Amino acid sequence: MMCLMILISIVTLFSFAEKTAEALPRFEQPILITSAGQSADVQIGGVLAKRAGLIATLSKNATHQGLGDKKTLVLVIGVSMKGLGAAGLDLDQEKTRVRGLIEEAQRKGIPLLCFHLGGEARRGELSDQMIEACLPYAQMVIVVKSGNKDGLFTQICTQKNIPLLEVDKIADAQKPLKDIFPQNR
Amino acid sequence: MVVAAHPEAVAAGLNTLKKGGTAVDAAVATAFALNAAEPFASGIGGGGFMVIFLAKEKKVTVINFREKAPAKATPTMYWDKGKIQETWRKSHGLAVGVPGSLAGCAYALEKYGTLKLENVLEPAIQIAERGIPVSDTFSQINKDEYEKILQNDGESSVYLHDGFPYEPGDIYRNPDLANTFKRLISHGWRDFYDGEIAGEIIKAVQRNGGIMKHEDLAQYSPIEQPPLKGTYKDYTLYTIQPPGSGGLHIIQLLNIIAFWPVGEWDFNSIEYIHHLSEAFRFVFADKVRYLSDPDFIPVPVEHLLSKDYAKQIATKIVPGHLQKSYPYGVFDKQLIEKENTTHLGVIDNQGNIVSLTQSINDFFGSGIVPEGEGFLLNNEMADFSPQPDMANSPGPNKRPVSSMGPLILFKGESPFLVLGSPGGTRIFTSLTQIILNIIEFGMSLDEAIEAPRFFTYSSEGVAKGLFVESRIPTHILRSLEKIGHTVNVRGAYDKYFGGAQGILIDRYKNILIGGADSRRDGAGEGY
Repeated sequence: MMCLMILISIVTLFSFAEKTAEALPRFEQPILITSAGQSADVQIGGVLAKRAGLIATLSKNATHQGLGDKKTLVLVIGVSMKGLGAAGLDLDQEKTRVRGLIEEAQRKGIPLLCFHLGGEARRGELSDQMIEACLPYAQMVIVVKSGNKDGLFTQICTQKNIPLLEVDKIADAQKPLKDIFPQNR
Repeated sequence: MVVAAHPEAVAAGLNTLKKGGTAVDAAVATAFALNAAEPFASGIGGGGFMVIFLAKEKKVTVINFREKAPAKATPTMYWDKGKIQETWRKSHGLAVGVPGSLAGCAYALEKYGTLKLENVLEPAIQIAERGIPVSDTFSQINKDEYEKILQNDGESSVYLHDGFPYEPGDIYRNPDLANTFKRLISHGWRDFYDGEIAGEIIKAVQRNGGIMKHEDLAQYSPIEQPPLKGTYKDYTLYTIQPPGSGGLHIIQLLNIIAFWPVGEWDFNSIEYIHHLSEAFRFVFADKVRYLSDPDFIPVPVEHLLSKDYAKQIATKIVPGHLQKSYPYGVFDKQLIEKENTTHLGVIDNQGNIVSLTQSINDFFGSGIVPEGEGFLLNNEMADFSPQPDMANSPGPNKRPVSSMGPLILFKGESPFLVLGSPGGTRIFTSLTQIILNIIEFGMSLDEAIEAPRFFTYSSEGVAKGLFVESRIPTHILRSLEKIGHTVNVRGAYDKYFGGAQGILIDRYKNILIGGADSRRDGAGEGY
C-alpha cells in the first residue's frame, strides 16, 4: 500500500505535461517571432532568440504572409491595451491576425512554439483569452513560472498533450531555447 | 508626516524631519529619494510643481519647475511628410524637454529650507548604492516599457536586469545615479545645467535626434508664483497655476458640482457618476480650448473659474441622458493613456506643508539615459499638442500644459488636506473624487483614496467612453449604459486612475492621518 502511494505521488509530481530538457521536442530555423496581444514581451522573445544564437525575424504585427520560408512560428503571448493602441489594433483585430498566422502555420506544417514571459503580471482576462486561443495549437509552451501559478498552462497542456517547460526567470529560458533549436544542418 | 509612492522615499523624508529639517527639506529629500527608488516615474531628468504652506507667515506659494521646450522648438516639429511622427514625441531626442526638477528643488531648498544639498541627497545616494527589491509594480511597468528602454539605452541599461526586465524580488541598483548625486554635491547643482552633466545630457539628446542645446539648459530657471485659489463650501483650495491644469480643473469641477445636491446622492450612484462624467466632458473641452503656457498665450483663468460659468455648465447637464455635444476642441488622444508621474506630501512639526508632484512624463520617460549619469530623461514634450495651431502647440522655451494638480485644502483658516496624484489626464478627475469622498460622503482619507474611481472626457465635442474600476457594481454600470454611456471596465485597483498620496489634519483629535494608494507602491509615516 505504501509503495502504491509513493508511486502515485511520483506520477503526480512529474505531471505528463512538464518535461525535462532531454524529453523536449526539437524545432527548426529560421523562426518568425511575433506577438499575440501586442505586449512588449515580444521584444523579450527577440532578445532570448538573439542570445541563443537563433536565426529569427521579429515582427510584432506579422500576418500569415510573413511566414514565408520560416520553419517555426513563435507566439509571445500577452495582451497590452497600450500595445494594441500603438499598433492601431483592437483586440478582435489582433485575435484575427493571430488566428490567421496559426491557420497558415498549420496549413504549411510549420510548428508553433508559445511563450508566456510576463509572469503573473501578464495574466488577466484578456491575456487569458489569448492564451486559451493560442495554446491548444502549440507543439510546445515555455512559461515563466509565476505566470502559471493557477495552473492554467498546465491544465491546457495536459489536456492537449503539449510539452510544457516552466522557467523561474526569463533568462532561464535561454538554455532550453538553444537545446530545442539545434544548429542549422 | 511624509507620504510618497515608495516606502524608502518616505523614510528619507521622515528621517530628514527627525533630524530637524523643515517640510521643504524633507520634501526635497523625498523627491530625490523617489528618483532612486521609483526611477520610472520621476527624477532629476524631469520636472514638476510644488505647493508650499509656510505656517509662520500663513503664506502659500508655488514653485513651477515644469520642463521647457528647447529654443529651437517649433509648432510643426513633430510633422514629417505630412504625418505626425509619434515616436518623435515619445521615445526620441525631440521628446525631451529641458529638465526642471533639480533647479526647482535647489530653489526651494535655498529659499525655504534649512539644510544643505548634501544632506537631502544623502538618502537618495544610499538607496541608489544599496539597491531596492523590485516590486510587482516596478516589474510590470519595466516590462511594459521594455522596448523603449532596449531601443534607447540598450541591453546594458541599468534599467534592465542583464538585458531583461526586472522581475519581482530582483535587486535594482543604480551606482551611476549615486555618482551623479555625489557630483552634484562636490561640484554644485549647476553642473547639471552648465557643467559636465549638462554636456552628457546634450550629447544624449542630440545623439537621439533632439535639438536641445547647451544654452537651453544653462538658461533654465524655475518660477515662484502665487497659488491658484478656489472655494467649495467652507473649504479653500490652493493649487498650481497654468501651465499646470490639474488644479484649475479641480476648482472648475468643484464649482460645477456645488450646484448639485451631491450629499443627497449615494456614493458612486448612477446620478453621481452621470453628473460628474458630464462635468468631466465639459471641463476637458475647456482644457483643449484654453490651456497653455500663460507666458506665451493668455489663459482666461478668471473666466474658467467663475461661479457663473460653472452654473452655465451645471444647468446644461441633465439626468437621464448625455449631452448631444460639448464645447468643441481637438483633444490629443495620446494624452489619455498615461498613468505616470508621482506625488508626495509632507507636514513638519511647525505646521509647514509641501504638496509636490513631479514627473518624467511617460513611465521611464524617453528611455534615454545620458551616458554614465544613471537618470532618465523625460519625454515631457509629448504633453504638447502635435497640432501646430493649438494653444498648447510647441514653441521656443514654452512649458507644455500639465495635468498635475498638487493641492492644499483649507477648512476655514486652517490646513485640512494635502493631496496629489499621478495619472496623466486622470489626475484632476481622481483628485476631485477623493475630495468629494471626504467632504460629501464622510469617508476617511484611506477610504477616500481606495474607493473605486471613474473617468471620461470629450473630444471634438463628442463624449468618449466611461472608464471605471471593476469594483463599481454591475447594475450601476448597466444603468449608465442605458442612458448612453459607453462603459469600459478596468482593473479593481487600476493605476490608470492614478496613485494618490495625502495627509489629513484632524484638529479635533490633534493628529495627522496619512493615506497612500494601493494602486501604486504608496506609503506614509509620521511621528
